[in-house]
Amino acid sequence: MPKILVIEDDPDMVMALRIPLEANGYEVVSASSGKEGLQKVKEVEPDLIILDVMMETTTAGFQVSLQLRNPDPRSEYAAYRHIPILILTAIHTTTSLRFGPDEAYLPVDDFVDKPVDPDVLLEKVRTLIERSQKAS
Amino acid sequence: MELEQILARLAEGARQVLQADAAMVRLLDEEDARLTVGAVSGLPAASWRQEPIAVEDSSLDEEALAGQPIIIADAGADCRVVGLPEGYRSVLCVPLMHENHPVGTLHVYATAPARFGEEDVALLMPLANLGAAAVVATRALTALEAMEASKAQFIRVATHELRSPVTVAQSLVRSVLKGYAGELTEKQTELLGRISRRLDFLENLINDLLALAAGKTPELAREEGPVVLNASIGRVMLLLQPRAEEKGLDVTFHPSHERLLVWGTEDGIDRIFVNLVSNAVKYTPSGGSVTISVRRVDGQAQVEVSDTGIGIPEEALPHLFEEFYRAPNAKAMEEVGTGLGLTIVKDLVERYGGCIEVESTVGQGTTFTVTFPLVDL
Repeated sequence: MPKILVIEDDPDMVMALRIPLEANGYEVVSASSGKEGLQKVKEVEPDLIILDVMMETTTAGFQVSLQLRNPDPRSEYAAYRHIPILILTAIHTTTSLRFGPDEAYLPVDDFVDKPVDPDVLLEKVRTLIERSQKAS
Repeated sequence: MELEQILARLAEGARQVLQADAAMVRLLDEEDARLTVGAVSGLPAASWRQEPIAVEDSSLDEEALAGQPIIIADAGADCRVVGLPEGYRSVLCVPLMHENHPVGTLHVYATAPARFGEEDVALLMPLANLGAAAVVATRALTALEAMEASKAQFIRVATHELRSPVTVAQSLVRSVLKGYAGELTEKQTELLGRISRRLDFLENLINDLLALAAGKTPELAREEGPVVLNASIGRVMLLLQPRAEEKGLDVTFHPSHERLLVWGTEDGIDRIFVNLVSNAVKYTPSGGSVTISVRRVDGQAQVEVSDTGIGIPEEALPHLFEEFYRAPNAKAMEEVGTGLGLTIVKDLVERYGGCIEVESTVGQGTTFTVTFPLVDL
């Protein structure tokens, strides 16, 4: 059963993600801050990470993704660099129409818009986990 | 210019005009109760650090603030002088007045006694009046800047605080509505559907209000520059084509043959056409068509967004761009709308020097024509 780590500080949002994910057989673990999230990555070794951007700071999510994708081979997260990251955001639709992952700016694999459409979420989760399993 | 610089020039100017030994500007606080040193000229730096004094403690300033210039021949023999630096005997004190309202006083000092006369007052008054006007204008500008900054801050907070609960509620409702939390009865599905539409409406309203506020707030506006019209509409098509196809609409985009550049921000120009094209998609029944064409007309760039939709009644046309206005036949549809989309469009179009026109026939369709000045590079 694939494990998904949800890093999100709003418990209601965690619930909104947990319901469709668990209904589709995923195991969901949650963390309510960037710091806790990084710790849980090591403990849980998830198959996919769903990450909120604004948490304890407005860019806490960015910090987490930058740490996880640090290209330095001595990084303490080097072993987790391959884990696909799905970022949860409303930012790219409200401030700009430029959408899609941008490696140079934000090292994530895909976006899910808030409010979350569970079917869209499930499709993206399935695709990313499949892709990463094929790669490894 | 900063207030401090203005005051420093005022003190310096006063001293030079009267060829005096020193000068000082005292400013009234907001309650008109205390005076603080605003600037000095020809005086040691220590005189800067004077504590604010109450107006009633300095009869010299009090009289001057009432509008009366005061000449003192020998400060040692005049009890009205308070806080005068050591060694000066002649004092000339004039009010800094703007539109009959005192903002402070201007003091000029000389070491010799009986140094100032009426002709010095006549020389100093124009400078004092100019200084007072500059102080008032600078304070007003500072207040305005602070207000703009707090408005921008408010919008940033509102974006997060207002949107978050709505998007969370929507996400929860959608999960339940789609059956992921267990099977629903028909009645439950219908009721949750109603909740969901209300939340969609609220989200759109918040987004539109924020867009409207952002457009009018310079801090949030990105830098303006030339924008490629075809590219902007291409992005809009990418965003809206799936929705149109889902609805069974035929959407056609005719880009201009040449590259047309207009002035604005990418986000702003995109937003104009997202709103116009999504309206066209929203108010055109299944099987209809939406056509967007870009062309050069009379040395200007013109974009036409036309649809074969429900049309706009004639009596609604004059109100179309008003905030929160929705045409009666638009309201009657099940579609979510805030009545702010076209207000935003008009606001942005005019911001970039363009204009917008609309032609419509009920039951046949609507054409919006946006014209922008061309940017030549």
